[in-house]
Amino acid sequence: MAGKNKVKVRMSEMAKREERWAWLFIAPPFIGFMCFMAYPIVFALIVSMSRWTGINSLWGNIVGLRNYIEILQDAKFWQSMGTTLIYMIGIPIGMILGIIIAMGLNRNLPGKRLLTTMYYVPVVSSLVAVSILWAWVFNYDYGLLNGIWKIITGQHGPNWLGDEKMIKISMIIFMVWKGLGGTIILYLAGLQNIPRDYYEAAEIDGASGWEKFRNITLPLLSPVTFYVLITSLIGGFQVFVEVQVMASNGGPNYSAATVVFYLYEKAFKNGQLGYGSAIAVILAIIIFAITALNFWGQNKWVNTDI
Amino acid sequence: MMKKKLLAMTLSMLMGTALLGGCATTTVSEDGGGTASGAAEGTEATDGNSSDAMKGNGDKTLNVFLYMQEHEKEIYKGLVEEFVEEHKDEIKEVVFEITTQDEYNTKMIANMTASDMPDVFYCAPADVRKYVDNGYIQPLDDYVDQATVDKLWGTTQTIYRYDGTNIGEGSLYALPKDFSCFAFAYNKTLFDEAGLDYPDPEKPYTYDEFIEVCKALTVDKDGDGEIDQWGVANANQFGMTPYLYSNGVKFLNEDMTKVNVANNEALKNALTFYTDLTLNGLTPSVDQDAALGGYQRWLDGQIGFYACGTWDVAAFMDENTFPYEWDLCGWPVGPDGDGRSHTWMGSVAYCISKDTENPDLCAELVAKLSTDEAGQKAVSGITTGHSIQLPNLRDLAYGEFLDAVNNGELPFPSNVRVLFGYFEGDDAYEATLQETDYTYNAEWFTPFHTGVANIQRGNITVEDFLAEVEPEMQSLLDNAIELQGSAKN
Repeated sequence: MAGKNKVKVRMSEMAKREERWAWLFIAPPFIGFMCFMAYPIVFALIVSMSRWTGINSLWGNIVGLRNYIEILQDAKFWQSMGTTLIYMIGIPIGMILGIIIAMGLNRNLPGKRLLTTMYYVPVVSSLVAVSILWAWVFNYDYGLLNGIWKIITGQHGPNWLGDEKMIKISMIIFMVWKGLGGTIILYLAGLQNIPRDYYEAAEIDGASGWEKFRNITLPLLSPVTFYVLITSLIGGFQVFVEVQVMASNGGPNYSAATVVFYLYEKAFKNGQLGYGSAIAVILAIIIFAITALNFWGQNKWVNTDI
Repeated sequence: MMKKKLLAMTLSMLMGTALLGGCATTTVSEDGGGTASGAAEGTEATDGNSSDAMKGNGDKTLNVFLYMQEHEKEIYKGLVEEFVEEHKDEIKEVVFEITTQDEYNTKMIANMTASDMPDVFYCAPADVRKYVDNGYIQPLDDYVDQATVDKLWGTTQTIYRYDGTNIGEGSLYALPKDFSCFAFAYNKTLFDEAGLDYPDPEKPYTYDEFIEVCKALTVDKDGDGEIDQWGVANANQFGMTPYLYSNGVKFLNEDMTKVNVANNEALKNALTFYTDLTLNGLTPSVDQDAALGGYQRWLDGQIGFYACGTWDVAAFMDENTFPYEWDLCGWPVGPDGDGRSHTWMGSVAYCISKDTENPDLCAELVAKLSTDEAGQKAVSGITTGHSIQLPNLRDLAYGEFLDAVNNGELPFPSNVRVLFGYFEGDDAYEATLQETDYTYNAEWFTPFHTGVANIQRGNITVEDFLAEVEPEMQSLLDNAIELQGSAKN
């Protein structure tokens, strides 16, 4: 119908000139997107269906879906995927701690600014640098944690980075610490956005502190919670640097390796760029699916009306 | 509203995919354009990347792309400047671009992908097959005379040969930049304290003798009930194989297509010996090693024996880094081998692009960088007093280099004979390439060297480990063989 009613509008010279300018303004991000996003994505998709090593012929080594089939049967891929998911235990921990600390900082306590800055320092610090720092904090013989452990218990502490279970706990502790500042800042902004009237009305109705938190604070923070959840999940699937620094061989029996770490090893250490690209595509699909699921489910719990 | 959400979601996903996909499409970040005027000017970055353009009056341009450390760079840059001066009527410009070792492979893959190869670049023994099969390098046979090749050590004459099937035979594809091996070192100070005789450089210890010496060197120095000095410390990836090779171990069959570990008696015995060193407390435990690596413990004087690559010599000779007396010795010899001490060797070499327009000139430059006597005297420390490597020229090594060591002009351990023995392959020693150097990648060896810690922790027996690890190694080797064959597709 719309096609039939199309009316040809003759554009004025000025409108034409404005349109040309508009195209000019649109061009840089569009060209940037095509060169640095669309092209790599399409290229990675093609490479994922090949045995390309970077030095052999790409087109002579197209193997269809073989890489994908092999990945689904690859025990190391599933092990690293499992570890990646285990690390995500840190996401709810970080969110709960973030809300609690943000609520504390939302009161007019002395030293509030100093505390906020302190919590935010890890976020702006180099991930490599703080990973190295924490590798020493977790050190079995000389680390800060085991030093404190020994003072308190008189016993030698656990091997944080040398034991299959402890290394996962260590990574989760590190990731929560690293991400907490960002979560706090977002929740703090969210808290400051909630009108005081709501609380005053609830107080007049005799609501307890818990009831106010449960029925006002939490629902009205849900957009922030949603944002933090989505970004943490996407970030959680892409964990790499901390593993590379703290457990450069993937940890004991590969227990610390994440999917992206495995992808990197396959593609760049072992020269299997096709296989590595296929892992990247699978990972992107998983991230897409989980994000889609979250967007789909947000109507049930995210409150956007303040 | 729904459309907006979908758009936002799709865009965020695209960004995520691009981040990951980008991993597979390496890009080159050019550091320094090298467009300087004058004889030799260039750009210098603080991150180890630099590019210098040396100009002549001719019309030929050569692009040289290498990695090296700062102190090496000055020496080699000087050689390139000399070369330009010697050929100034032919050469328009030599662009001498240096990067870091970490970035080198990534940049080379980008160059290969873009079909934009430098004229002269590096090639390791493990690369020869890949580079030749994929058509990136060309033989030097027609450009380098036999007299030049004959000046090199025998091993470096062979490891860069390839006949289309086997490494070590056929045409010569590269000339060595350097070569090295992983020898063994002992702390003389600890030997003196324990009242032990020094190891005989002519006759490496047997496994049994080695255990006895390690027992004597493993002590609780401060009497707190905990061991704080150990006989030896090893790194599982590289410090383990010399023990195994010295018991005649081979991980692969003759044509490198089958993994042979589950029913390999020599390997079983050697690995038992190796892991027992840790289980019996003669090395730091796996946990202690994770807390502070063997290298640091060696520098701290806690370790009797430790591996010493030729590249480590300068650091160990520096009193500020290692304030102990030390010398070289051989790795212990097992009962199932040929009675000689074995270790692995490594090397990197200069090769020339198959697409270069000036192969003869490139080959001349490569020959100069590899075999120029003044250059070799400088890098080996004869004229500089600071040794980065052994001389590539065999006669120079046995002549002026050895004289400088013996006269005390060059700080170097006196048992340099051990290194020479490994390179020459004599009655007591032999160095060979690792088997991973002959396969497309080293992934098949990873489950082995990473899994050995489980034996050292006492979680699995040697026999069970070998039976368990073989199928995984074989599967990864099959992948490597397939990738190796993909060059022909």
